Amino acid sequence: MDKRSKPSARRSNNGRIVVPERTARRFYGHGLPNVDLDQLAGRLIVVEGADGSGRSTQIAMLTRWLEGSGHATAQVGLKRSTLVSEELDQAKKGNILSRCTLSLFYATDFADQLENSILPALKAGFIVLADRYIYTLMARDLVRGMDPKWLENLYSIALVPDAVFYLRVSPEILVQRNFAKDFGLDYWESGMDLGLSRDMFDSFLKYQALMASQFERLQAPYGFSIIDGDRSLEEINLEMQQKTEQVLSRKRQAEVHRAGRTAP
Amino acid sequence: MTKTFAELKFPGRLIAVEGLDGSGKSTQIYLLKRWLELQELKVFFSEWNSSDLVKAATSKGKKRELLSPTTFSIIHATDFADRYERQLVPLLRAGYIVLCDRYIFTAFARDVVRGCPPEWVRGIYDFAALPDLTFFFKADLDVSLRRILDGRPQLKYFEAGMDLRLSADPYESFRIFQGRILEQYLAMSTEFNFLVIDANQPIEAQQSVVRELIASRIDLSAFSVENSHARLRAPARVAKPMAADG
Repeated sequence: MDKRSKPSARRSNNGRIVVPERTARRFYGHGLPNVDLDQLAGRLIVVEGADGSGRSTQIAMLTRWLEGSGHATAQVGLKRSTLVSEELDQAKKGNILSRCTLSLFYATDFADQLENSILPALKAGFIVLADRYIYTLMARDLVRGMDPKWLENLYSIALVPDAVFYLRVSPEILVQRNFAKDFGLDYWESGMDLGLSRDMFDSFLKYQALMASQFERLQAPYGFSIIDGDRSLEEINLEMQQKTEQVLSRKRQAEVHRAGRTAP
Repeated sequence: MTKTFAELKFPGRLIAVEGLDGSGKSTQIYLLKRWLELQELKVFFSEWNSSDLVKAATSKGKKRELLSPTTFSIIHATDFADRYERQLVPLLRAGYIVLCDRYIFTAFARDVVRGCPPEWVRGIYDFAALPDLTFFFKADLDVSLRRILDGRPQLKYFEAGMDLRLSADPYESFRIFQGRILEQYLAMSTEFNFLVIDANQPIEAQQSVVRELIASRIDLSAFSVENSHARLRAPARVAKPMAADG
């Protein structure tokens, strides 16, 4: 491993550990019952992007840098809840769930982690790094023709993050990275359930293009920060560090506030 | 959705029963099912929280008390969606009478009592059409409580609404919880055209009211097994066997 943390933190903070200011928080809509938002002192940073876009590597690098700067971090992701992650895996293997059911199953997983991992960590003042959030779930469902209004209502329980980094990688590079990782393409990440093409390679490209266009659609209303993922790991991480620094040192940006209020 | 299956031009009909635990609705729907089956009609029965796939997760969540009002709500919606998409809708398209022991109104009542916003819960179930007939079995709270508490003295955690911290005593908690659910049911009774059945009456008296109401509102002869076989036989002969590959 040769991923050295960048000197940017030391340079800008002069070795002093920045204590994030408490800032106003809110949910996208209905939110969760019995949650006191004022108690959530930490920060929620979301990294979105397709499989092979480098999310987990970037999160590992960001974690290393944050810890070096004196911040406690917590990592969350999709399909990691105690409640339904095993059942979800089973369901996906069998490919027997219809779209609405699968969608709700994922929402259960998300809600469970929101309540039992994300909120407690934020309450404890951690920087929470989320490897995907509601946007991937929404984009997948939108590609499958689900009603945007329905999804918006379902995920109105979600907390508005402090930053959403969307790693945009061209489909051709994604394919290569997926092959380099495990010499094959994933059934679901190739959107094989959609019947776009019987050729998996072809289907992967088509599906990822559809996903990308849904992410574009979500970008403005949910305030994504687009990160050009076709660059080197270090270049990408440096940009994410700089943006994270802003999140930590400043009050929450007004545009993030406005962004969540008008969902698509 | 604000339309019934009939209004959506489904050939099948959906009949739902709702009511508190101990209102006797399961007994009534069982007798209803037998009545329809003995007339050789196409009938299917579906129960709340019974999808094999989702049930494992739900019972784990309940046993380990992992569920919050929000996850309780979504996981039951998942169960419902699975049955709805894989069983109810296809059977209704095939002209079945589908009987549901609890339908979306159970979620509307329960989840709201647990503190979920009503518009959020209703929004989630928006994919589901309304039943063609909904029977609400209205028993006095005391009668329902006695039926449950007599027969099954060990109350389960979520069933008693213990997660709401209404009382440290499970029986007291159950009483308060059921009382609030009853209020929710009554509040939506008119909006969703509940056919209210007096569940304090003897079983036979209730069942005859139910049967009369159904016979007057649904043309049962259209659902006979015999008819549908006859109807299907002709086109079946013409249809070519399915090719192995489109």
